[in-house]
Amino acid sequence: MAMLEERGYAGIGPRVPLREMVPVPRLAGAVWLRNARVFSKLWRGALLPTFLDPFLYLLALGFGLGTYVAHVNGIPYKEFIAPGLIASAAMWSSAFETTYNVYFRMNELRLYDNVLSTPVEVQDVVAGDLAWSATRATIYGIVVLAVIAVFGLVSSWWALLIPPFVVLGAICFSVIGYTFTTLIPKIDLYSYFFTLGITPMFLFSGLFFPFSRLPDWVHVVAWFMPLYHLVEITRGLATGPEFWSVVGNAAWLAVLSALLFSIPVRALRRKLVA
Amino acid sequence: MSDPAVSARDVTKRFGERVAVDGIDFDVEPGICFGFLGPNGAGKTTTMKMIYGLATVDAGELIVLGMDARRERRQIKSRLGVVPQETNLDGDLTVRENLLQQARYFGIEPDEAAGRAAELLEFSLLSDRGDERIHGLSGGMKRRLLISRALMGDPELVVLDEPTTGLDPQARLAVWQALDRLRRRGVTLLLTTHYMEEAERLCDRLVIMDEGRIVSEGRPADLVRSHVGREVLELKLDEGCDAERLVGSLDGRIQGHDLSERTLMLYADDAEAVLEELDHEVFPTESALVRRATLEDVFLRLTGRSLRE
Repeated sequence: MAMLEERGYAGIGPRVPLREMVPVPRLAGAVWLRNARVFSKLWRGALLPTFLDPFLYLLALGFGLGTYVAHVNGIPYKEFIAPGLIASAAMWSSAFETTYNVYFRMNELRLYDNVLSTPVEVQDVVAGDLAWSATRATIYGIVVLAVIAVFGLVSSWWALLIPPFVVLGAICFSVIGYTFTTLIPKIDLYSYFFTLGITPMFLFSGLFFPFSRLPDWVHVVAWFMPLYHLVEITRGLATGPEFWSVVGNAAWLAVLSALLFSIPVRALRRKLVA
Repeated sequence: MSDPAVSARDVTKRFGERVAVDGIDFDVEPGICFGFLGPNGAGKTTTMKMIYGLATVDAGELIVLGMDARRERRQIKSRLGVVPQETNLDGDLTVRENLLQQARYFGIEPDEAAGRAAELLEFSLLSDRGDERIHGLSGGMKRRLLISRALMGDPELVVLDEPTTGLDPQARLAVWQALDRLRRRGVTLLLTTHYMEEAERLCDRLVIMDEGRIVSEGRPADLVRSHVGREVLELKLDEGCDAERLVGSLDGRIQGHDLSERTLMLYADDAEAVLEELDHEVFPTESALVRRATLEDVFLRLTGRSLRE
């Protein structure tokens, strides 16, 4: 522990009274608006890869691999993976926003020192940043949804309900990324976050293959991954949902987000308010 | 005296083993410019941060604008403006957007914010730069924009941490003039500085800090008079000159002295007379200079001449 502290690891920080955990919506909104304003200047460049990403996956996996794997669980392979790409786009967007982008704002631009010397408090900053990250992820998710719909890979009108669930999933991914950002002392450690966290989740959350013929433990492991739950929701809604499955998966994401929220608030307070 | 703008009683701050601020007491009368002087690491910035809520108070009582700095952070900050040591403007936004964004952090309505931003761009002489990006500004302009940003919330108290460090003389003058205008409006100013000239010029009262404690407090002129006297005789001694005997020979005619390498400072009300009385045969000098005593002399007397890191 002492060694970690020497390397700049500040830890989670002391407990914070509940009233200092609850953000003021108007001030969290101010933080959100700053990020939205900057994004509005850059969105053209930022959105283009989002259009291309699902094309590439569909091309390689849907049309390439899909030639050999015609059907999964009774639906064409392309249709099986396409809705999951909405979920993974939201995950990648959240992961990048709450790691590199937040890190840059915090440590390079040093914006938060200024923000925290105004009436804005740490919990407002975290809430505003998370809300922004979720917004951005949802924009990306909607883009992917539109692309796969154009390709005819959405078979149910329930798909129109996907965006609000993407918001929920994105909040969950964002809290996890933000927690990591507030705890790491050096930017180099993000490679662990992506290689050991995000990439395995992308590959093993049931996006590309179903668990039905695999051993049970694979399913159990996947259950602990947020992406698994969001993929279940988006696939369910795009192909015609099972009501209780959507509710259960959404509850899982909501509960985890709520449980984790206090960690980045405490860690960021410890980091910025000495 | 009306209620102090800031009042500190036995305020203490530790970082692990190190005591950054060691039980300091002071009161800042509203409407004045109050300075914190001291070498690096004296605890000035930490004191400022405790006032504006970026550092917690470990012990003692710190009252800002009548509120407890520990419990009423948000309320205190809504009436405070902060000019930090580091330039932390938002590089992704334009000059004007920086001000408008600051207004949002204070919950100010957009219409009102636009008017105030225009006014403050004028105040900081940046009206024609409003739509430029931050990285195009000079150091002095950035500093003025930082001051304007601190004023967006219409504060009663403005805290400035080394507001002119790294500026050229013209830019520094512009900042000083801006601070003068602010004080005339009745805003209380709290500033830290390394520049004695700046402290003498701007501050009504000041404290000198060293190693986390306040070593002296008063009006700049009074501090100079009480610690140094009116004038200084600065002697550059020859190799063979015995400084101790020289000082001894002037016993009673000087208020104090300091020796640093071969430079001897003699403090007196009439330094010219001291120079005339000095036996130049016995005490050979390379050069002699009579000058007015300044806050710098007080500062170096109280905090020592050795380098602080």
